[in-house]
Amino acid sequence: MNAEAPIIGSPMGISIHDMNKFYGAFHALKDFSLEIEPGEFLVLLGPSGCGKSTALRMIAGLESISSGTLMIGENDVTEVLPKYRDIAMVFQSYALYPHKTVAENIGFPLKVAKTPKAEMEAQINAAAAQVELDHLLERLPGQLSGGQRQRVALARAIVRRPSVFLMDEPLSNLDAKLRGNMRAELKHMQSTLGITTIYVTHDQIEAMTLAHRVAIMKDGVLQQLGTPKEVYSDPANLFVAGFMGSPPMNFIEGTLKAGTFNASGLQLSAEGLADTDASTMGFRPEDAQVVAPGQGIFDATVFTVEMTGDQTLVTFRFGDRPIVVKAPKDFDISPNTIAGVAFDVAGACFFATSSGSRLRVTV
Amino acid sequence: MSPQSPSIFEPRKIGEMAPATKVLLYTVLIGWSVFVIFPIYWLLITSFKTPAAVNEGPFFIPWVDFQPTLHAWKDLFIYDAADTFRAYFNSIVIAASATFLSVLVGSMAAYSLSRIEFAPNLITILYFIALLIGAGVAIGVYGTDLWLTLAVAVALFFMLARAVGRLYTVRLANGDILFWIISQRILAPIVVVVPIYMMFQSVRMLDTHFAIIVTYAVVNLPIVVWLMFDFFNSIPRDLEESAQLDGATMVMTFREIVLPLSRAGLAATTLLVMIFSWNEYLFALFLSTSKAQTLPILVAAMNAGERGILWWTMSVAIIIMIIPVVVLAVVLQKYISKGLLVGAVKG
Amino acid sequence: MIALQTKITTMDQWLDRHMGRLFLAPAVVLILVFSIFPLVASAVLAFSRLRLTGGGFRMRFAGWRNFEKQLFGSEQFHLLGTFGTLSALAWVFGLACTAGLIWWMIRYCRTHFTLFGFIGRLITFAMALGLVWLFAATTLSGRPFGTVGTTLFYVFVGCGIQFLIGTALAFACSQHIKGSRTFRVIFFIPMMITPIGVGYIFRMMADTTKGPFANLWQWVGLGDWAWAADPWAARIFIIIADSWQWIPFVFIMMLAGFESVSKDLNEAAEIDGAGTWMTFREIIWPQVLPIAATVMLIRVIEAFKIVDLPNIMTAGGPGIATESVSLQSYYAWRALDLGQASAVAYILLFITVVICVSFFNLIVLARVRAKP
Repeated sequence: MNAEAPIIGSPMGISIHDMNKFYGAFHALKDFSLEIEPGEFLVLLGPSGCGKSTALRMIAGLESISSGTLMIGENDVTEVLPKYRDIAMVFQSYALYPHKTVAENIGFPLKVAKTPKAEMEAQINAAAAQVELDHLLERLPGQLSGGQRQRVALARAIVRRPSVFLMDEPLSNLDAKLRGNMRAELKHMQSTLGITTIYVTHDQIEAMTLAHRVAIMKDGVLQQLGTPKEVYSDPANLFVAGFMGSPPMNFIEGTLKAGTFNASGLQLSAEGLADTDASTMGFRPEDAQVVAPGQGIFDATVFTVEMTGDQTLVTFRFGDRPIVVKAPKDFDISPNTIAGVAFDVAGACFFATSSGSRLRVTV
Repeated sequence: MSPQSPSIFEPRKIGEMAPATKVLLYTVLIGWSVFVIFPIYWLLITSFKTPAAVNEGPFFIPWVDFQPTLHAWKDLFIYDAADTFRAYFNSIVIAASATFLSVLVGSMAAYSLSRIEFAPNLITILYFIALLIGAGVAIGVYGTDLWLTLAVAVALFFMLARAVGRLYTVRLANGDILFWIISQRILAPIVVVVPIYMMFQSVRMLDTHFAIIVTYAVVNLPIVVWLMFDFFNSIPRDLEESAQLDGATMVMTFREIVLPLSRAGLAATTLLVMIFSWNEYLFALFLSTSKAQTLPILVAAMNAGERGILWWTMSVAIIIMIIPVVVLAVVLQKYISKGLLVGAVKG
Repeated sequence: MIALQTKITTMDQWLDRHMGRLFLAPAVVLILVFSIFPLVASAVLAFSRLRLTGGGFRMRFAGWRNFEKQLFGSEQFHLLGTFGTLSALAWVFGLACTAGLIWWMIRYCRTHFTLFGFIGRLITFAMALGLVWLFAATTLSGRPFGTVGTTLFYVFVGCGIQFLIGTALAFACSQHIKGSRTFRVIFFIPMMITPIGVGYIFRMMADTTKGPFANLWQWVGLGDWAWAADPWAARIFIIIADSWQWIPFVFIMMLAGFESVSKDLNEAAEIDGAGTWMTFREIIWPQVLPIAATVMLIRVIEAFKIVDLPNIMTAGGPGIATESVSLQSYYAWRALDLGQASAVAYILLFITVVICVSFFNLIVLARVRAKP
């Protein structure tokens, strides 16, 4: 990476206040508020159709803002056309111009800004060098591999030194191995350039590895905002708990009464929690162990055993719900045998089943 | 295929035809080719016949049935060279300009309609139509001055449009505008040609290239808008959004990104509009008298009253009309079916 | 960022915001000036009696008189045809069609009634009813029909033939056969020839004394037969010429359609044991149907405008047997009767709009909507 490259646009903070989006009667984004620090890498995470892409496109100016305000740095850009927002965006499809060479693609933003030819060439070369594309400048996008196209799209975004980067699932069209490499490069590049970045993805691994902070969304509503560690270990609600982690959190449904959690044949102490008729207890697969029958919290029948190489996933059936436990890689057990599941109840999370909200110990 | 079918023992490959089907297919295709080519062949040999050879009954094969001559070609290119070349020049200028204008204006409109949401107010439009009809009645029934009445109508429209629009709001959408533009194609030329004739007469522009060019361009606009609208819709939006974020204006996006990507659609549309403009007769007949006469008028002029039809020179005239179109079609050939398809599939 | 902000002038901003309108405006203005204004002017003419004088024209308001003359007066035979006493066949046909149309309206009202849909269908209904009885009162009663009948004959019979042959050729050409490129080029040629030229070429072809088939005519004993003097022969010759010119259009569009049909589906169907006809009907046809409907719509719209061919080939003759409505209007203009010319043109416009819009709404859109 070329650390001496001049940074014209200084990183800008973004502040979003009560942003809404309506498509006719459909409420796509509901009272979305977010403060993004200058230089921060923020990931918008959620399942498809949760409004994350809509939010990103509204920040870019590609979708109008139905209500609310959007500030970039000190400027209110709610009504400002995209071209004046000083934003660069990497699209899921890369949006490379198929009739322009790599150099022309990278140079397009400069051409638009009427940059002098010599300077333009220097900047194209610098940007191409940064993403290691210098030898492919004369090719057309159709002649490049997926990873190379991705790099061209990145180079086109960084060549302008914008004050904000927006990325809409930029890695989702790459195969798994390449995705891992690009993820690392992306993170390195962002920290080197220090440009505020908003990154949209449905892949929680990407979110965990890349983000300074993650904003998890569902049905147009922001569910939780926090560092990857926070959202993983301290989920704000049932949705976040079920969405984060692979495999996700195990859930057991029951009732909370007088400091005790009752599920089918289970009684666990849950002191300090308010009485709730329908509640759900959750624990992470890696926080549980497979033990001999009768030794754990409950016994269950082994449903399947999956080897992933670095670990073994043991799936039990408890009632009609699957319970997954991460066991060491050389662990072995045959399906249909009965085993015990052990975990630390103090580390479990409790939720109200109907609202999904987290039940916390009231002091 | 039933299990008893004998072909089960000699299975055909998937997608391969039975020999009988193949023979039938070729018979049909070659038969139709003959039906298409024979009239053109007859046209070609007629152009090399003397008037006597034409009138004395059917002769089919040059040098065997009749002696080919350049008599008709000389007539057109030496004795009437001035007329011929003027018509040729007029046709080229008119067809090329009209096509360019039509494709440019039409694709701009189509692009705009495919990318930007318009919501014109129905009441304002009705008000506009009412004013136009009022002006028409005033001119037609009460005999007011044409230009004065029109000026008053336009002034009234701009003065009161906003106020009228606020009375009641019913919004139209892009689809309505598109339908309105395309529906203009329903107008038979004969419906509008007389007023257009009078319009150009009143500004003394009859028999000019400009009059015919603009008329052809407008007549073909609906086709351009229709085909190009669907073509633009098939281009991914990402590319333009990306350009927009990079600071490109709509003009620049259109020129740098959209048009180069629409080559196939543009080529097919251009060819179609070019053919229509090149071959058009009725408007040319009304709007040109001598200076701006085009090739179809030249062809029709070979029907020389009491001397009968000059088949030989007419054949030459038709042949020289076909050649440029064939050349253009060959040049644009690889785009044609691809370009038309997009328009057709979604249209 | 700051540098960028200062560069924004109000003019640039205004242009950015309104560029969409500016892109659309030229087309709208051109159409207003060259389609809508003439349409209004034409309406004014249709209601006037107008004489061209040296360098200008004099106009007098005439009310419905132009239309009355065409529809009920001395020109009725010309536009609509000669009405006679209805024959038995005419009664049967007319009543059967009327009953069918009424049943269609009732079925619509019972199932999914909307006000606009009803009004639209009512107009279609009235037009269809009028045309049915026009047909019954003229042709079916042994009287000649007028230019409206002739135009509809060109439109429906001509377009039908063109569609069938064009589609068949396109399907044949879409198969994997040698030389299909050559056939494509050949089949496309007639479309490039000016309609005037096509008219004269077919006049040559059809000449019974010195045309290429003169010997054939002699041989079958029609050497002295003048086809141009026989109404149906003349109409059929015009349809042949029109088809020769326009089948290429149907062909090229349908070919594009057939080539867009996914080959996988074909092969899957064949593996499932479907025969050629079944594959065509069940797999290919549903996929090209939207294109077919569009192609037909374009062809029908253009066919209503037919004027060059009858003008060149028969000058509308014998009598008025091959005269289309457009041609009638053109002849009225040539006789400097602009009022009649515009009235006839307006009647054509009305018929075209009703038939094309009905076709579009009831067939094209219905097909499109029926698809999930």
